[in-house]
Amino acid sequence: MQKRNKTMRYLTLSLIGVSISCVCVFCFLVKYMNRQSENTINQLGNVYMASINERISKHFETMIDLRLTQLETLVETIPSNTNSDSDSKELREWLEYSAKARGFESLAYYFEDGSFEMLYGEQVRSLNPEPFQEAMQNGERKVSVGVGEQEEKVAVMGIPFDVEMQDGRDCIALVGKLPIEYLSSTLSLGDRDTMVYSFVIRKDGSFVVSSYDSVRDNYFDRIRALYEEVDGKGAEQLIVELQEAMESNKDYASMVQLYGERRQLYCSKMPMSEWYLVTVMPYGTLNRTIEDMGGRSLKVFVVSCAVILLVLLFVFQRYFKLNRDQMLELERARQQAEEANRSKGEFLSNMSHDIRTPMNAIVGMNAIAMANINDTKRVQDCLKKIGLSSRHLLGLINDVLDMSKIESGKMTLNVELVSLREAMDSIVSIIQPQVKEKQQKFNVFIYDIFSENVRCDSVRLNQVLLNLLSNAVKFTPEGGSIEVSLHEVESPKGEGFVRILMRVKDDGIGMSEEFQARIFDSFSREDSKRVQKTEGTGLGMAITKYIVDAMGGEIEVKSAHGEGTEFCVTLDFERAEEMEDDMVLPDFTMLVVDDDQQLCESTVASLKSIGVRTEWALDGETAIQMVNEHHKNHSDYHVILLDWKLPGMDGIRTARELRRQLGNDVPILLISAYDCSEIEAEARAAGISGFLSKPLFRSTLYYGLKPYSEPASELPQPEKVEVDFSGRRILLAEDNELNWEIANELLQDLGLKLDWAENGQICVDMFSQSEVGFYDAVLMDIRMPVMNGYEATDVIRGMDRPDASLPIIAMTADAFSEDIQRCMEHGMNAHMSKPIDMKEITRILSKCFFGGGQESRPIDSVEWREV
Amino acid sequence: MTLQECYNAIGGNYAEVFARLHSERLVRKFVLKFLDDKSYELLCVSMAEKDYDEAFRAAHTIKGVCQNLGFDRLLESSSKLSDALRHGWTPEADVLVEQVKEDYCVTTAAIREYEKECEEH
Repeated sequence: MQKRNKTMRYLTLSLIGVSISCVCVFCFLVKYMNRQSENTINQLGNVYMASINERISKHFETMIDLRLTQLETLVETIPSNTNSDSDSKELREWLEYSAKARGFESLAYYFEDGSFEMLYGEQVRSLNPEPFQEAMQNGERKVSVGVGEQEEKVAVMGIPFDVEMQDGRDCIALVGKLPIEYLSSTLSLGDRDTMVYSFVIRKDGSFVVSSYDSVRDNYFDRIRALYEEVDGKGAEQLIVELQEAMESNKDYASMVQLYGERRQLYCSKMPMSEWYLVTVMPYGTLNRTIEDMGGRSLKVFVVSCAVILLVLLFVFQRYFKLNRDQMLELERARQQAEEANRSKGEFLSNMSHDIRTPMNAIVGMNAIAMANINDTKRVQDCLKKIGLSSRHLLGLINDVLDMSKIESGKMTLNVELVSLREAMDSIVSIIQPQVKEKQQKFNVFIYDIFSENVRCDSVRLNQVLLNLLSNAVKFTPEGGSIEVSLHEVESPKGEGFVRILMRVKDDGIGMSEEFQARIFDSFSREDSKRVQKTEGTGLGMAITKYIVDAMGGEIEVKSAHGEGTEFCVTLDFERAEEMEDDMVLPDFTMLVVDDDQQLCESTVASLKSIGVRTEWALDGETAIQMVNEHHKNHSDYHVILLDWKLPGMDGIRTARELRRQLGNDVPILLISAYDCSEIEAEARAAGISGFLSKPLFRSTLYYGLKPYSEPASELPQPEKVEVDFSGRRILLAEDNELNWEIANELLQDLGLKLDWAENGQICVDMFSQSEVGFYDAVLMDIRMPVMNGYEATDVIRGMDRPDASLPIIAMTADAFSEDIQRCMEHGMNAHMSKPIDMKEITRILSKCFFGGGQESRPIDSVEWREV
Repeated sequence: MTLQECYNAIGGNYAEVFARLHSERLVRKFVLKFLDDKSYELLCVSMAEKDYDEAFRAAHTIKGVCQNLGFDRLLESSSKLSDALRHGWTPEADVLVEQVKEDYCVTTAAIREYEKECEEH
């Protein structure tokens, strides 16, 4: 029990453990996947933003480049007649005119010292003059931010332009001004329709081109005011990182949060300027997609987790159940083993007691006999009792032996051809004395047995029926009745099989319900005072059950206290090859009288199948009436079958009455399950012509009735053997003259010529001196002086002559099987026991000479043996 | 004394012998011949000389003759004796041989009486 709890606890804990680890693994997976997808989105965003920035930068570059190229074209297309070396009026006019035509708001000369001289338009000044001045001095093209007169921001762009001023100053560049809106509109920054917005700032954070919703001049101020802390990164840190990136001319990407929404920020340097393009993309849309995806995958994860948990739970539950079943099974097996052990122990003690009782009797009786050795009567009595006790003891020991054979699995069935009729006859004859001793009524019924020959183990079948019957006898009080019946039905196993139902019924003491449940268990015996006196090991029924099981049958028991017991055995037997004679009787009319209607009907059916019309009656009175009627109609029955034990008028009285009325013509046969020898005289006197013993099989009826089917003069007579062996010569080895004369006398009648050899040696000599083929056979006595039959046979068989293999037939007063075996071992062909029986010797000699039967067939080469 | 009566005195089975030989003449002939059979003398001598092999053979021969002639009583005792002597001497043999002797005497006495009557007629 403790072990079971331990196992259960272990299983529960491991289920919980596995579930928890499953959930943990899934949580980790969800988190990890989310992180991964976030990272991926970030990377994707960066790539996307970088490309947007690049696109805008390129756009910007193209546009600036176009504008600068326009300025350059302005310079290149100065008419040749204009004096380009000096700052002439024509040049100024040309430049002004051309620049205006190209949409520049103003145009100015730029000097080395950073001052502007306006050709036309408003005065501008550079907001960040150093880099611009440096670039101009190096003859590079550049764009920068300047401030107009109204402090409005303008884009200032310059190209190298080397012209000598009339006042002697050296102009290095030509600078055009464009409104800043031009940039923002051309670059279409901050388009309200797109998710993405960009703006251009300078290193100090001031806007060159601001986004549509910006109210501040400096982007850093905006960061400080609006940007929220995200992933532990505050506004100041973001500014620092941004400035560092700008300083080192690197692209910068970061996550920012604005108005509670995450955005991706990307900053890159713009060409030909000190400007930086910042693009911001709100994460909202992307995030929603990601969140959707995350949500979906979370759902999937949760569902799969749940599925796995459910499967786990199911598997565990099944495992639990299996485990529990196994435990229960083990427990049951253990209990059974204990039970078996206990009953074996009890059995042994009972058994010892049971064995001691007859053994004590034997020892005691033995002592009494010894003490009274001269008192013959006393000794006889003792020996009788010793005999009885020994038989009882032997029965007990046989049972135990059988059981141990069964328990060790050594009992096997020996299936052979069995005649149910012979089997039942022998059982009935065995049980009859016991029944008679207890003065019980006994009856045997055979219903519809059409296959008398079946294949089964006859010894075991006998054992089953004898066990049941002797139990019935044992447990039925004196005067009770016992019934055994055999019944054939169709077998479910098919055409080649017959199902035989056997029933053994008594009206004895019966059994309790509880005992019926364990009657077939080994080593059990109803332990009540009633059966204490009854002998037996209690193994009989277990053995019976085992045999029936081994034969593939079933056994059932019905019983109640005081009402008797009924055992039903159902067995399927293989139908043996039909080898019965063609059983047909002449067209008789018969009468069957028996108090069992079913038996009457079955007998009628059996008789019908052998060609006899039959009527039946249930008692003597009715039978007499029927016989009388037939007599009046001059259609007497040919044979009447009468049961001995009939209610009212019994068989013998009925027969007497019938004889009185009918005379002696009609044969009346008495049928009975009892031994009829006792009542034979009385029955004969009452006019009974013969006896038929139950069970009434078809063949019983056929062979029983056959003698009456022939005319009285042809009743069986001892057959006169008439076979002609004339001309055949036999050498007879026999040491006794009288025996020789008898044999000679008898065999001469068959036309045989005999020579006498008085012992084995003479026999050998006579044979060796005879011509080849002179003798047709040797009849060999075994016990002879000088040389015995075995030796003589050996010598003859060893001779080098063609007829050395002639038939040699042993003739001996012994008929032990080992003698017969020995004859065969010494090469004799057949064995015949004394006294010389003409029929037997004719049969054997016919077989010798004609090769079987009495038909004249030449001896074939097939070796034949007769045992 | 008829042959049947003789058989009754011997404790034999006339019906069986008759059934086998089919002739009273033959039966009579062999029964009378039984008196000349030397097996009994052989048995007595061998037992006295403790030659049990020979005694066994003699007993066996008597058994065989009795089987042929249907002398059931002598057959039974000689048969028991031959079984007892089959594998040499056994304690029962000495008792059984006495029984054989007794039966033999009864048998021969009956036959002699019958023989006498036959001669008288």
